[in-house]
Amino acid sequence: MPREIEFAGATVPGLLLVYLGCLVMQWVIDTVIGRYGWYRHVWHPALFRVALFFCLFGSIGLLLYP
Amino acid sequence: MIAINKPWLADFLVGERQAWIFVFKCLLAFYIAAWLAMLLQLEQPATAMVTVALVMHPQSGMVRAKGFYRAIGNVAGSLCALLLIAAFPQQRELFLLALSLWVAGCAGGAMKYRNFMSYGFVLSGYTAAIVALPAISDPTSVFDGAMMRVSEVLLGVIVAGVVSDVIFPDRLVDVLQRRRREHFEQFMAMAGGTRLGSTPRAHMEHAHLRFVRSAVQIEDLRSSVIFEDPETRARSSRMQLHNLRYMSAATTFQSLYHLIDRLQRQSHPGAAEALIRLYAPVSNALTAPTSQHLEPRILADRVAACEAELPMLAAELREAFRDDADLQMEFDSGATLIRRFASELHDLTMLEARLRKAQGRLPDGIEHVDFKRSNDYVAPLITTVRGFLALSMLSLFWINTSWASGPSALLTASYFCGLLATSPSPVSAAINISIGYALGMSGAFVVAFYLMPGSDGFMMLILASMPLMLIGPYLLTRNATLPGMGTGYVMSFAGILALKNPMVYNPEQFLNDAIGSWFGVVACGVAFMLIPTVIGTEWLRRRQLRKLRQQVTFVASSPMAGLLYHAESSNRDLLHQIVQHTRPDSDELRHLLSWDLAVHECVRAVIELRQDMQHAELPPPLKDIMQRAVDALARLYDAPDTRRWQDACRIVGHAIMLTTQALPRAQACCRAPLGHLLQLRAALRDDESALAPFIVTTPEQQRAA
Repeated sequence: MPREIEFAGATVPGLLLVYLGCLVMQWVIDTVIGRYGWYRHVWHPALFRVALFFCLFGSIGLLLYP
Repeated sequence: MIAINKPWLADFLVGERQAWIFVFKCLLAFYIAAWLAMLLQLEQPATAMVTVALVMHPQSGMVRAKGFYRAIGNVAGSLCALLLIAAFPQQRELFLLALSLWVAGCAGGAMKYRNFMSYGFVLSGYTAAIVALPAISDPTSVFDGAMMRVSEVLLGVIVAGVVSDVIFPDRLVDVLQRRRREHFEQFMAMAGGTRLGSTPRAHMEHAHLRFVRSAVQIEDLRSSVIFEDPETRARSSRMQLHNLRYMSAATTFQSLYHLIDRLQRQSHPGAAEALIRLYAPVSNALTAPTSQHLEPRILADRVAACEAELPMLAAELREAFRDDADLQMEFDSGATLIRRFASELHDLTMLEARLRKAQGRLPDGIEHVDFKRSNDYVAPLITTVRGFLALSMLSLFWINTSWASGPSALLTASYFCGLLATSPSPVSAAINISIGYALGMSGAFVVAFYLMPGSDGFMMLILASMPLMLIGPYLLTRNATLPGMGTGYVMSFAGILALKNPMVYNPEQFLNDAIGSWFGVVACGVAFMLIPTVIGTEWLRRRQLRKLRQQVTFVASSPMAGLLYHAESSNRDLLHQIVQHTRPDSDELRHLLSWDLAVHECVRAVIELRQDMQHAELPPPLKDIMQRAVDALARLYDAPDTRRWQDACRIVGHAIMLTTQALPRAQACCRAPLGHLLQLRAALRDDESALAPFIVTTPEQQRAA
């Protein structure tokens, strides 16, 4: 994956797109978990969500930009 | 541990504990944002820090909602700045004119929308100014400026959101749940405990006001909580439905109360007595046999059981009025209301039970409803005009004097024009904020020119700036007694300190900027004095009251789809807006409430009547006269006077007569509309309602009475 992507005449870092993609994924996962009420089994839901995001963004970022 | 046996001390300590947790979270987020901004080599770490300071709130849902709208406003403003610079790179007059228009339009938008959406509008105006103004002499740099600004603000929003959510979170969702439960229980206690026919009107008016407030509050909370809690987000539309069912049940209950009250006053105590007896099973179902607490699940079953026995009881009680057709009709009208109330109660309790259920997936397919706000267009328009005048005057002043600090003045003015627009007393709010502003400036001065030059490294920076910084968040927790002061302090402290890496020391520019900002605040205050705010003025309240009455006109002519919920929610929103600026226990409030009750009852009955009119078997002449009755009512509420009252009363009476004549032939389609027509007529003739001044008693009515 290229490090910088041209978008309407401006170069955008590829990582930014990954970040936005991860936000969307996070939102989907969040909605599903919220719908089924699974957050009740988690000690600190907010911390869990932050950690989940770090895992998503970290793993995808490292996979794409080794 | 020492036991604290002084309650005030315990309260004080609990309050202080929360306040200091908040201060700690603020400082943590503040310095993390500063550190990250410096690490990422952003141009102005101060922007990220100001963002953190402004977005922080004790409750994490608030932070996320505010941050979300701040981010949107910021992106919109940056895009607008790009467009403005691209369109007028050389013409400063046109540029400033367009900028003033944009900022003023955003201020108007801030006025029109509620909650944090309003804040987003303020921000989009302000951001356009902050991005475009520094680029005015060097248009090519605007893109980088906009990128920097967006990155800085987003960094601040993310840091504030994560810190407030993860560290000692104070969850708004708990508040929402507690409130909803409280209101549900209050309403059930009210519906079960009120002795219809012997409760004073003033008591009901207060209850009505309380229910209106709670409906609006819950909606406000919900709109913030969805940012915090995914579970609430999944249940969001169910909660809206719950709120709207609750509102319609409250309206039905009020109508029922008034119906019985009227019957008693019109010396038909027999009919009133029968209706009270018919209501008894409902009230029994809601009150627990002993002092035990009833779960909504059980309540729902009990209400369903009593719903089933109502028709039998009604038929039995109706027998007593066999000889008097008029009284029989009045009784039927009341019985319809009671049945409607029971079925609404059942829906409400079922939904409450489902919302409280802790585990599991929620079934799909619920009705999708929206809480409709009621907006006025004059107040936003005035705000827009004021903002435009203030900014264009400042721009002219800047161009003509070539004042070097013009941009800072313009910036501050653009921020406060939007922010103060929603305040009912903008001048005193401006004074408060400017005191905070001045304090923050002096704090920043001390830190920047006495403490920081001797310090080295990030740790020393924290140590040097923290003691004076923590005053700001602490002031924020004292918003109830010192409104706006904390905001002013954190804004000016973080903004004027303008931490940078490496730090730039320039006392001359510091003072010029400070004076410029100060001038902007003052210019804004002057604009508010010249074109005073309309919020909270008697003029606007009268206007809103007229709008409240026109709700009847609205429901008489709008398409039926979703009309009930639209009317219920916008009525309440309007009343809530007016009540906020009315003194409690004043004659004005009583006047307002009596109008609101009349409007509520009439709106509901008109909607039900229009629904009945869609019945396929209803003969066309009847449909025609009912439509005329609805139109006459709409005209009456549009501009009440005695002539229109007479018209309405005559046409409704005529409709009742025709429907009664048709009743033996078409029982199925005429019974329901007849009940609603009777209810409307009784409401019209009620001499204790808001319509009382317009009632004319004709000789024949006097004879009848």
